[in-house]
Amino acid sequence: MLTVTDLVVKRGARATLDGISLSVPAAGTLAVVGESGAGKSTLIAAILGLLKPATGVITWNGAPVRAARPALVMQEPRAAFNPALSLRRSVMEPIAAQGITLAEGRLERLCAGLELPLDLLDRRPAQVSIGQAQRAGILRALIAAPPLVLFDEPLSALDAVTQKHTARLIAEVQAEEGFAALIVTHDLGYAVAHGDRIMVLKDGQVEETADAQTFALSPRSPYCRALRDAAISLGALGAAA
Amino acid sequence: MITAIGGVLLRAVVVLSGTAILTFALLWHAPGDPAQAIAMARFDALLSDDVIDQVRQEVGLNTGFWQAFWAWLGPLLRLDFGYSAVTGRPVWPDLWAAMTYTFPLALAGLAIGLALSLPLAILATKRPGGLLDRAAVAIASLGAAIPAYWLGLLLILLFAVQLGLLPAMGARTPAHAILPAVTLGLGVAASLTRIIRSGILEARGQPFLPALRRRGVAGQAVARDHVAPHAAIPVVTLFGLELAFLLEGAVLVEVIFGRPGLGTFLVTAITARDFPHVQAVVVLTALVFVLVNLATDIFYRVIDPRIGAEDA
Amino acid sequence: MTLSVTGLSEIRAGRTILHPTSLEIEPRGRIGLVGSSGSGKSTLGHALIDDLRAQGCSVAHVPQSPDEALDPLRSMAFHWREAEVALGLVPGSADQAGLFRALRIEGGDLRKRPWGWSRGMQQRFVIAMALIGSPDLIVLDEPTSALDPIVAAATMDLLSGFPDGKDTAMILITHDLGLAARRVARLLVMQAGRVVEEGRTADILDRPQTSAARALSAHRNWIALPC
Repeated sequence: MLTVTDLVVKRGARATLDGISLSVPAAGTLAVVGESGAGKSTLIAAILGLLKPATGVITWNGAPVRAARPALVMQEPRAAFNPALSLRRSVMEPIAAQGITLAEGRLERLCAGLELPLDLLDRRPAQVSIGQAQRAGILRALIAAPPLVLFDEPLSALDAVTQKHTARLIAEVQAEEGFAALIVTHDLGYAVAHGDRIMVLKDGQVEETADAQTFALSPRSPYCRALRDAAISLGALGAAA
Repeated sequence: MITAIGGVLLRAVVVLSGTAILTFALLWHAPGDPAQAIAMARFDALLSDDVIDQVRQEVGLNTGFWQAFWAWLGPLLRLDFGYSAVTGRPVWPDLWAAMTYTFPLALAGLAIGLALSLPLAILATKRPGGLLDRAAVAIASLGAAIPAYWLGLLLILLFAVQLGLLPAMGARTPAHAILPAVTLGLGVAASLTRIIRSGILEARGQPFLPALRRRGVAGQAVARDHVAPHAAIPVVTLFGLELAFLLEGAVLVEVIFGRPGLGTFLVTAITARDFPHVQAVVVLTALVFVLVNLATDIFYRVIDPRIGAEDA
Repeated sequence: MTLSVTGLSEIRAGRTILHPTSLEIEPRGRIGLVGSSGSGKSTLGHALIDDLRAQGCSVAHVPQSPDEALDPLRSMAFHWREAEVALGLVPGSADQAGLFRALRIEGGDLRKRPWGWSRGMQQRFVIAMALIGSPDLIVLDEPTSALDPIVAAATMDLLSGFPDGKDTAMILITHDLGLAARRVARLLVMQAGRVVEEGRTADILDRPQTSAARALSAHRNWIALPC
């Protein structure tokens, strides 16, 4: 289980994250929703250990979160890969970096689960579609079987139909692999559809945390109600019949 | 903006002090005996030890490094450049004379370079990848590779010797400045052409340009108001650097054309271990660089205030 | 005045990325051009704009993100003036106050460069610029993709209300049928450079005929809220 307690991240005198606490159980999914500048990417950076918090503790099963070797799926697949390397080389990097051996058939199994033809891996990122590139990014994150995977707007670069498809594949692969997922997104529809629980961030603070269903039906704060209504207006959430 | 200028000035002071100390130290520790070098330059002959010691004492070389340095720095801060260790004459008039040969030549060279490169680059970018474009890049690369002294000699051979149109050496008349200015100008044109060309091409790739055209903005207005300012940024950087470089006196060109400018002044001073002369040129050069950088910095901030801003 | 284009097509590098397409747009019409990425909807949009302009109609275009519409080196006031001049208007004659009010552009310093404004305000400014001079048609290309949801919803709502009293037609290009569904009367579904289905929004949502339309319709929401 991922536990974040009273996380404060400062940039100069300003707190980009001001006392964030959350938890994600193994195999569970927490959707972190917020607008630009709310601190979602800072949260991910803090969990990954890319920046040092002013205060706060981030643990996985009680130990420092580094031990869980959390993986990251980024927003822009084309920016997340070295354009000169084949996808296969990029995907295998975590294995080489962590010095572990790949189980027999794991790559093939994951590729099947993510609907990535094996021969596609020999191509370069620019030679595949953006949906395929993003799924390769997910493959890279999962290859070393991390217990915790962070997703930073994983669907924003994809079109509507591909988004739904990719989200479904992520959910299926999560059921198989059993990793805990923390998904950062500005799309409330995605959060409600695929998150167990939703946490709304606003200006570096937690506005509300609730399970997905409860949140969608009756968000407590006016800001969250505005988010929900906007999602309906934009068609992300189907209006109540 | 005020804090920005303050920062630049502070950096300037640091640069100037550091340059002064470093140059003084290099001269001090240069091979050979500085006092002997000075004495030889002064009297144009090999001399006995007494004379050399006398020179040493006179110039202050028998004291420690820092004492000599402060002895020199004090007057300098009062803008008193002191006297030449070799000739005993005040530094400033000789320095000024050298500047009057170098500065106009530098400006003329820059003007020629700009006059050549700007039209060429604009024409070349009318059809990127086309014949004129590739030819321009090739010529510019060639030009950058050609040493100025070789070019200068070639021009002398052609225009002064063979055709007899222009004077070869000396600095008596304005006509004497033509060939050296052209030599310098061609070198400047070579680097400027490349950077103007790539600046324009990159400016043309800005993401909002198609929308501007679709909005109906005239092509000329787009070029003038949106492509040129963006393209100007790298060009001005290089322009500033070229200006600073030329102002300190392109030594080889001066030697070829026999012009007694800053470059010759400096080389002569170094050879003769003429500390005051060397220091004066170094300080002048550092000052030129600092001023040019300040001007470039201000230019940037006017065009694009994001440059140097905190949370751009 | 009904706008009409015929035989719009585009070939790039030997491949036909837009097959000959014809289209009619009635005054005040609200049309959605939907399709997945690569379906040709942006290409059709651009071809439409160029053709209608060549016909002499006034067409405005709002690109996907303010980065694609505004020069970061120029002030907002400069952009506005430039847009007025481009439309042949005397600078200052456009109803800036009215447009800003309609699009809720408040408190913005026009002397600032674009990055001094929030992205939402920048995008609304671009839309306001597009509406100067009451164009015959305004084409919006994925207008919400660069905006946060609350601002995006508000902007789309404002657009639906505006422009009242004018005949400006609107074309909404998007890959998100959910976005278009509530805001356009007619839908054109595109796939592989062709308009494969066309009709009233409600009809296509409820009874999609082609596979492309079915996929778009089935995936227009993430989840429907129970009542």
